[in-house]
Parts: sequence; structure tokens; C-alpha cells
Amino acid sequence: MKLRKAMAAGIAVATAFSMMPMSAMAEEEPVTIKVFSNNPDRTADQGLVEQTIFDAYMVEHPNVTIDVEALDDEAYKTKFKAYAAGSEMPDLVSVWGQPGFIDEVIDAGILAELNQDDYADYGFISGSTDGFSADGKLYGLPRNTDVIVMYYNAKMFEDNGWEIPATYDDFLTLADTINEAGIIPVAMDGGDKWPLYIYLTDMIQKSEGEGVLQKTLDAISSGDYSDPVFADAANKLREAAERNVFEIGFETTDYGTAQNLFTNGQAAMYYMGSWDMSMATNQDIPDEIRENIRIFNMPVINSDKAASTALTAWNGGGYSVTANAANKEAAIDLLNYMFLPENWTRIAWENGVCMSAQDFSQFATGTETEVQKQLMDMVSASTNVSGSPLGDLGTSEYKTVCEDTVQQLAIGSISTEDFYAGLSALVK
Amino acid sequence: MQKAYSNKKIIFTLVFPGLLMFTFAVLAPICLSVYYGFTDFSGLGKFNFIGFKNYQEMMKDKNFWMSLRNSVLLAAGFIVIQHPLAIITAALLDRMGRKAEGFFRCVYFLPNVISVAVIAYLWKFIYNPNFGLLNNIAKLFGFSGKTNWLGTGTAIWSVLIVLIWHGFGWGMLIYYTGIKNIDPVLYEAAAIDGADNKQTFLRITLPLMKPVIEVNVTLAVISALKQMETVYLLTAGGPGNETQFMANYLYKQAFSSFRYGYGNAISVIFVLICILATRLLSKVFPKEA
Repeated sequence: MKLRKAMAAGIAVATAFSMMPMSAMAEEEPVTIKVFSNNPDRTADQGLVEQTIFDAYMVEHPNVTIDVEALDDEAYKTKFKAYAAGSEMPDLVSVWGQPGFIDEVIDAGILAELNQDDYADYGFISGSTDGFSADGKLYGLPRNTDVIVMYYNAKMFEDNGWEIPATYDDFLTLADTINEAGIIPVAMDGGDKWPLYIYLTDMIQKSEGEGVLQKTLDAISSGDYSDPVFADAANKLREAAERNVFEIGFETTDYGTAQNLFTNGQAAMYYMGSWDMSMATNQDIPDEIRENIRIFNMPVINSDKAASTALTAWNGGGYSVTANAANKEAAIDLLNYMFLPENWTRIAWENGVCMSAQDFSQFATGTETEVQKQLMDMVSASTNVSGSPLGDLGTSEYKTVCEDTVQQLAIGSISTEDFYAGLSALVK
Repeated sequence: MQKAYSNKKIIFTLVFPGLLMFTFAVLAPICLSVYYGFTDFSGLGKFNFIGFKNYQEMMKDKNFWMSLRNSVLLAAGFIVIQHPLAIITAALLDRMGRKAEGFFRCVYFLPNVISVAVIAYLWKFIYNPNFGLLNNIAKLFGFSGKTNWLGTGTAIWSVLIVLIWHGFGWGMLIYYTGIKNIDPVLYEAAAIDGADNKQTFLRITLPLMKPVIEVNVTLAVISALKQMETVYLLTAGGPGNETQFMANYLYKQAFSSFRYGYGNAISVIFVLICILATRLLSKVFPKEA
């Protein structure tokens, strides 16, 4: 709590001068901005960053009260719809810049259009706001860059003489070797299902190298998945599961349990996104594991087409102001304040929480964790990014069907043909 | 008092709040569900009237049939496994001494006091194939201890065990209360006539428990059809849709796939099945019995 207050006071002072005209609002009548967030933990990770900025904003704007309601992702999405069906939407809301979520919301006229010129100097990474835009209009701002990586226990690798795999075949061979040592090769959160379709997209990205997003969007809209790369990727996911690359019962292992398998030393690797880089600063994880967490990019499958610098990455979560917000102007002002580079980007980076969707290299101090440094190098060296994974590029129905069937595919209860036939059937 | 009850204004005043509550909290939502069941409403924006398309799709939806099958399987599990055990346990408890009776009554009812979320996570850990209690016990007996209890093939049975175990306490407590209400004179008379425990149970306890059994079994069948929370937290209907139950599938369609129209159509069928089950059970347990 002290840390949060000190951070809040710090950024309040830092931004006070640049926001002088806004401070005039202090004299104005009381305003309550209702925020609906998908970060229920306000003392850690992105919830901490969010709350720190809100506290700082309220210090600078004494007339403003920020009323936060926060729920976990699934509960959040459900209540978001309930709010949308009613007449009183909160002012500032969490959104996902992926078609499965945002298309319907924009079509229903729920989000307010933002002035793109306001963000000219905000340093947003090129293309990062695309998912939050429609017909050339901007409806939201991305808060982070999500990169899929393989976390690994460097000490365990060193002690056993294991090498970082250079190719996908090497990766499978390494998994066999780890299995022989009685250790789980990769902790996989298959119970939540979405990591499985991310793995599938990763396979496509590591085979194709570029054009994956368009190829996937075309397949979803036409229902035609006949390009061999789709079948190959699905077969590779199935092969990995069959070869016990993942833990036994991966299809029922949830997020926390998968992470625990890795942080308890039961698994040598953990397949997850860059948002879990805070493991390297998490004091609850034993020192000998926390200090040895490193990452590598999933090795390429087809080196003729894909470079080792091709990343499976996208800009997912973000924020929007609602079109009928009771305090629309104040909410936009708060949103703009949040994304001043010295706020979200700096605080998130300095606390090892996540990489923002803005240029965060200016905040590099040299005291970052090894994982942060590796991620920074990986992102700066990247030659291509995949865009959102398969299940997030269609409608909500597409997402749930994709989740169910990719899990069935991974455990071998349906074939690759059945998997894509199920997805094709969703084209109406 | 007689005068008051024959006054129509007083009758209206007493009945009206309940009627109003029923109309707006039960009847109106059911009518709205019937209406939305004929639409393609996603929960947001405009929607179209699509007639019986949702119902036609439901007939072909193998996941719907799988969820219905699982719900019926659970109801059968309650009737065939949970309730016979609950009656026998209640009868045995009744015969125990005071201290043991109180102790075991608490022990059997304990799972019902614990929150559903805790129960689900407790069993998730027990079933975990990598560090779960069940596999570790299996290893002690020389098995490989690598069984994936919530995996394909075994998941539905693992879930049924949890649900039957979790609901056991309620059933047992209701039967226990029913047995306690049987006049002890009947047992004394049976003892004088030389009836043994088995005869006493079959000839006195069981026949006199029929009304309690009817209520309890009806409640169990309805709760099997309504089952959602434990399954949602334990497996979320997975792997795939193997452990999908009707209420969970309805929720998934309406709130994950955002197919409110289809979800409402399922809910209409759901209500019809519940009414049908209640009617069927009232036939099985005729009033004159």
C-alpha cells in the first residue's frame, strides 16, 4: 500500500506541470468517473498499475472520484453485456481489441470515438491501435503487447546439460529427454483452452513467418481451412500432446496449477505470454527458481519461410470510453492521462508487470529482470508478429467452439479434419 | 377470523403481493425467455425473429444432447446410488446412541456446509494426475499413479462421484428427519412381534417414508437438471463437452458464446423438462400411496 501511495504521489508531481490546464478542474464541481475493469487484484500486476494511476489522478484532480468495479475476465465479459443491455454503462471500460469482443461492441455503438490526434506523441507501437479501430475511427487504446514465449528454468537446464532448442524438432527431442529425467517438459494450461489455440497459431507463425493474420482472417470468413499450414499446425499440437510434451492431464490443468508446476520445479518449461514476466519478481516463488527464470521464442518449424525472430504476438487488452458515459469528457481525460508514457508504460515496465503497447525502451534502467531484458531484445529484434491467435479472430461463438474443439483435438478425441470442419460450419 | 377470511378485499390484499412477485420474478422472465428463444439476439444491439430455427438447431446439436444425457445420468445416480445410501444411513443413524448419532450426522452433513467453490477446488486437487491425493494413494498400492481422473473417458464418472457425495448430506438429513417423525410405538410393537432390523426397515420405515422419499427424489431430480456451479468450477464442462450439463451448457451459450436467443431456447426446453420430470415423479408416487 505504501509503495502504491509513493508511486501515485511521484507520478502526480511528475505530471502536474505538463497537465497544468487540467489542474484548473480542481476548482470545478465534483465528478465521479465509473471505471469497469478486468483487473480485480488492485495490489498486484496490472491492477496495481491501474490503481496507482487512478490514485495519482485523484490527487491531481481533487474534484474527481474514481469508482472502480473490477471482475475477472469471464465474469467481466458477462457483466459487460449486462451493462450494455441496460442504459447505464460505466464511463471507462476494459476492452479487448480483438474481433471476438470488440466488433459487436463497436457495431452496437457502445464505445465513444477517440481523437486520434490526441495520441500522436504517445509513442504507440505501429499497428497496435488497429484492433481498437473500425472504419478509420479509433475506439480504444491498447495497454500491453502480448508475446507468447517459453519460460524455462535455466538452472535445471544447466544442471542437466539441456540446450535451448534451435528447431522445432530439437524442441520435441528435448521434451523426450526431459521426460526421461522424470520431469514434466512443458507446463500447459489446457484447462482454460485458449493457450491451446495460441499454440496452434504459434505453429502456423513458425511455419509461415509472415501473413499469418490475413491468412487466418480469410479462412475464418470463408470457412476454407484447406491451406496445408492449418492441418500441419493442428497435427503438431496433437503430436506434442501425444508425445507428452505437456503434463498428464494438461486438458484439465488450470492457469494457476500450470504456473505452479513450473514455479515448484516440477516442470522445466512453461508455455505462456509475456504478461507472466512478473514471475521473475514474485517473492512467493522460491529464490532458486525465480532467479533462474528465462525465456526463449518457440523454435521455427520451416526455416525457409519463418525467421527465428518471427513472434507470436498481438495487442489484446485495452480501455475505451463509453458513448453514453455520464462523464464522457472526464473519462477521456482520465484515459489520456493513463496513457501518458510516463504513467502506464513506465509504471508497468519499472514494476516488471508487462510490456505496454507504447515505446517502453526509453524507460529501460538496466536493473530489469533477465526476463524483461530478454523480452526487450526479442521485441526489438522481431521481424514479424502474428497478430491475434485463431480463436480471438472470430465471433464469441467462434471462440467458444474453437476452445472446445481445440482441446478435443489436443487430446485426440476428434481428428484434424473434424476440428476444421467444426470451424467451417460456423460460417453463416 | 372467519369474517376476515370471507372478505374479498382482505383475501386480495393477502394474495396480491405474492401474485405480483410470482408474475414479475417467475412468469414474466419465462415469457421473455420464450420470446427471445425465437430470436437471434446476441445480448447486444438489434435482433431478428427467426421462428423455430433455434429449436431446430437444438435438435441437431450433439452437445445439447450430451448435456441432457449427463443431467439424466446424474439424476439416475442420485436415485439409484445417493438416495438408497442416504435412507440406509439415516436409518442406521436413528439406531445409534446419542453421541455417535450427533457426531455422524455432522460428519455426513459437513460437505453441504462447505462452499461449492471450495468443494470443487478440493476435488480438483484430489483428482490432479501430477500431485493429486488419489494418484498418490494408488502409488502406495503399486499402481502407476498416472490416471487422469478428469480426463476423457473418466471425467463424467469423477464428476458424478463428487456431485453424489456433495448432495448426500441433504438427502440423508431429510430422511433422518422423516424417520424421527415415525411413531416409536410402531417399532416397539414390531419388536414385540419378533421383527428383526431388516423387517422393521422394509415393513415400517420404508412404507411410512414414502411421502418423504417422493419429495426428496423430486428435489434430487430437479437439482440434477439444474446442476451447474460444481461442474463449472471443476471441469467447466470439459474435456471438450464431455462433462457438460444442461444448465452449464445454457450458461455457456448465453454468456460465453453470447447467443442469448439460443440460450433462451434451451432454457424453455429446460423448464419443460423440469415440469415433465415433476409430473412423471408424481405418477410414480401416486397420492393414495
